[in-house]
Amino acid sequence: MVETPGSCSGSGNEHENGARIGVFICHCGGNISDVVDVKRVADEIGKLRGVVLSTTQMFLCSDPGQGLIEQKIKELGLNRVIVAACSPTLHQLTFRRTVARAGLNQFLFEHVNVREQVSWVTEDAEAATQKATRLIRAAVDRVKHLIPLDKRRISIHPAALVIGGGIAGLVAARDLAQRGMKVTLVEKQPFLGGRVAQLHTLFPTGEDARDALKRVIEEVVSHELVNVITNAQILDSEGVVGDFRTRIRIEPRGANSQLRQRASAVAACPEQTINEFDYGLSQRKAIYMAYPGCYPPIPAIDWNVCTKCGKCLWAVGGRGINLAEQPREMVLHSGIIVLATGFDPYEPLYGEYGYGIFPRVITLQQLIRLLDPLGPTGGRLPRNDGEPTRIAFIHCVGARQIEGVNQRQPDGKVKDYCARTCCTGALHAALEIRRRHPEVMITDFYQDIRTYGRGHETYYEQASEAGILFVRYDPRHPPRVEGNPKGDSPLLVRTSDLLTGGLDVEMPADLVVLATGVVPHDISELVGMYHCAVGSDSFLLEVHPKLRPVELAVAGVFLAGSCQGPMDVTEACAAASAAASKSAALIAQAQVEMDPFIAKVDEELCTGCQTCLTVCPYDAITRDETRGIAVVSEARCTGCGTCAATCPSNAIQQFGFNDAQVLAEVKALLQGAALG
Amino acid sequence: MAEAHIVQQGATPAAAGWEPRIIAFLCYWCSYTGADAAGTARLKYPPNVDIIRVMCSGRIDPELITTAFAHGADGVMVCGCHIGDCHYISGNHKTMARMPLLKRTLVDLGIEPDRFVHEWVSAAEGEKFARLVREVTERVRRLGPLGWPQRMRERGVGCGMSLEPWGA
Ligand code: FES
Repeated sequence: MVETPGSCSGSGNEHENGARIGVFICHCGGNISDVVDVKRVADEIGKLRGVVLSTTQMFLCSDPGQGLIEQKIKELGLNRVIVAACSPTLHQLTFRRTVARAGLNQFLFEHVNVREQVSWVTEDAEAATQKATRLIRAAVDRVKHLIPLDKRRISIHPAALVIGGGIAGLVAARDLAQRGMKVTLVEKQPFLGGRVAQLHTLFPTGEDARDALKRVIEEVVSHELVNVITNAQILDSEGVVGDFRTRIRIEPRGANSQLRQRASAVAACPEQTINEFDYGLSQRKAIYMAYPGCYPPIPAIDWNVCTKCGKCLWAVGGRGINLAEQPREMVLHSGIIVLATGFDPYEPLYGEYGYGIFPRVITLQQLIRLLDPLGPTGGRLPRNDGEPTRIAFIHCVGARQIEGVNQRQPDGKVKDYCARTCCTGALHAALEIRRRHPEVMITDFYQDIRTYGRGHETYYEQASEAGILFVRYDPRHPPRVEGNPKGDSPLLVRTSDLLTGGLDVEMPADLVVLATGVVPHDISELVGMYHCAVGSDSFLLEVHPKLRPVELAVAGVFLAGSCQGPMDVTEACAAASAAASKSAALIAQAQVEMDPFIAKVDEELCTGCQTCLTVCPYDAITRDETRGIAVVSEARCTGCGTCAATCPSNAIQQFGFNDAQVLAEVKALLQGAALG
Repeated sequence: MAEAHIVQQGATPAAAGWEPRIIAFLCYWCSYTGADAAGTARLKYPPNVDIIRVMCSGRIDPELITTAFAHGADGVMVCGCHIGDCHYISGNHKTMARMPLLKRTLVDLGIEPDRFVHEWVSAAEGEKFARLVREVTERVRRLGPLGWPQRMRERGVGCGMSLEPWGA
């Protein structure tokens, strides 16, 4: 321990408001003290009014370092503590706890960053020493204005709401229930399963997608703690962590469990519409089951298509179908919310790689439906006069696009992110074709092969060994798909191949498969309702990609699966389990603790002008009509301080960052500056 | 008109040994972390910029900025998350609306536009932050000391009343 003798004696140094400040400056093993003359800083600071102790230590975050702080707080009766060390993002919490252990309120502490923002960025040692002194001096003036604060505590209603009945939502609901939590799972569609139901086999294990799905669905629906609601639309939501109230509307299903002759009911329906389950490759009836073995195993009526002709009713003798069923509304009370709203496959623009112009240009999702034995063609590829003999895959369609090269999307942006699943997905499908039809010639046009996951690279190796031809295109000059005038195959894919030093390639094709990217499912209403942060790629944005990967900044709202970004099934399930354990942990706490840096309205000063209501991003401020003043909801306020900066009457102050505190800092930093 | 006044007044010749004093208000989530990133990468920048952190750039009250100038700051920087990245969804939208207005007001009050900089710095943009600090310090150095209270007195703002730094 390095103490600075002399500066410890601070008799008469107590500030007029009774502040007894202890300042601890860290060497950080030389990271700081090699540049900043910490002893000199400690001496300078020790002379300031209110500073009872100013000392240095080799590693303040170490046990002896923290021990020193604790000991000095008790020994000298310190009531304000300043640590000048690394960035507060690293150790602010550590030292707050240290201070609390010594019996002092943890918010009577201030962390000064003299490493990342001083010693590591400043060349001149003298200048660094002066800067460190300035910053600590400002902290000394700031802490004089600190007041003890308490973490906010909010109790949590022990129930979870999971929104989205795809694989991620199902896994999250299952995990929560297995931990003994009450769960309601709501799904907008009439059937559970989401996008995984539309797959045939899963990479990298090759297992049947619907089998895997079925297992999870069974675990979920058979669990006594889970309540599954399909056909449910979220109308609105109020409340905060611990106490969300979400109003939903349940669309009438039209059929119920009393319906026995399900197939006859479906067969009797005269109305047809495009089957979205097969990505438009087939038709379905107005009363339908999404796929064989779907859950619930009861048909649903698509009211946009149904004409209420009553033929289904006739066919089943009136039992189990109600064409006059009305929608119902209910309110779900939950302590936490898991968003598992999933993704949509990217829909290519008209003419993008010939899509929409040539019927033989299809998406990877459509190919997967075609390869599915239960799909629209019973697993057969489309034929004119024979199975296709030449298939071309084009990677990165609607993914990793380049501004200026690719056409902008309707939202004005290009899809510049990697969709992560399409490389392995395309190779998985290509190998499946090769297995079934060894004679088919497959060419794969790619920019980069990103088979990044465990076991995924094998697909690339197998594809190369199986004689699939790889052509690498330059993303600035993507391939072109044209009609083939020669007529042996209807299509022609042209590009120049980087692997052969830019040779022009002209590949006839019977079928062109676009390995399309993914976009988030449109949930703009939920985004507004739950105040979700959204990234520039339009996916939901977590608090921190590494340290808090499944939490939204709004307390109590968690992210599961591909609403957060492109994920394969493995990753979506992992994310869902993570979201479930984070939310279960929160529910188990029974209470949440939140930082106390919220806004408070001074009732005397507030004129009721309501300006603050318009700036709050969280609708946390309301107007008390009887008193004519603004009121901040403690639970809703997240502590950004925007209202405090906006209030024209200075009637709002933010705890921890009130005007007196920040202004004291400004003035202290500028001490000695020329005024003219 | 305000511009003309500044030109005519010209920059005060920098006194020997004078160093610009610049205050930077940074939001904690992106820009402060971005400044940390500059440190972690050991990028070097001049020591003239002192950082004050707030939770969100939306908290940066114009009064904080004018107070800094009134207390002798030669320049002020305001940094927040890029639009769309604000930890509090839209706190920085308010910053975006507020700062250009403030800048115009500051110009009218005799402060050269180069002395007040508002930029978005993400948590990953350590490089950008370091560059910003270098550029701003250089620009302010070229302009010389501001001495705003003195300047205000000379211009007779406030009906000839002497303008003490606020809250002094
Ligand atoms: S948190 Fe950075 S600007 Fe709002």
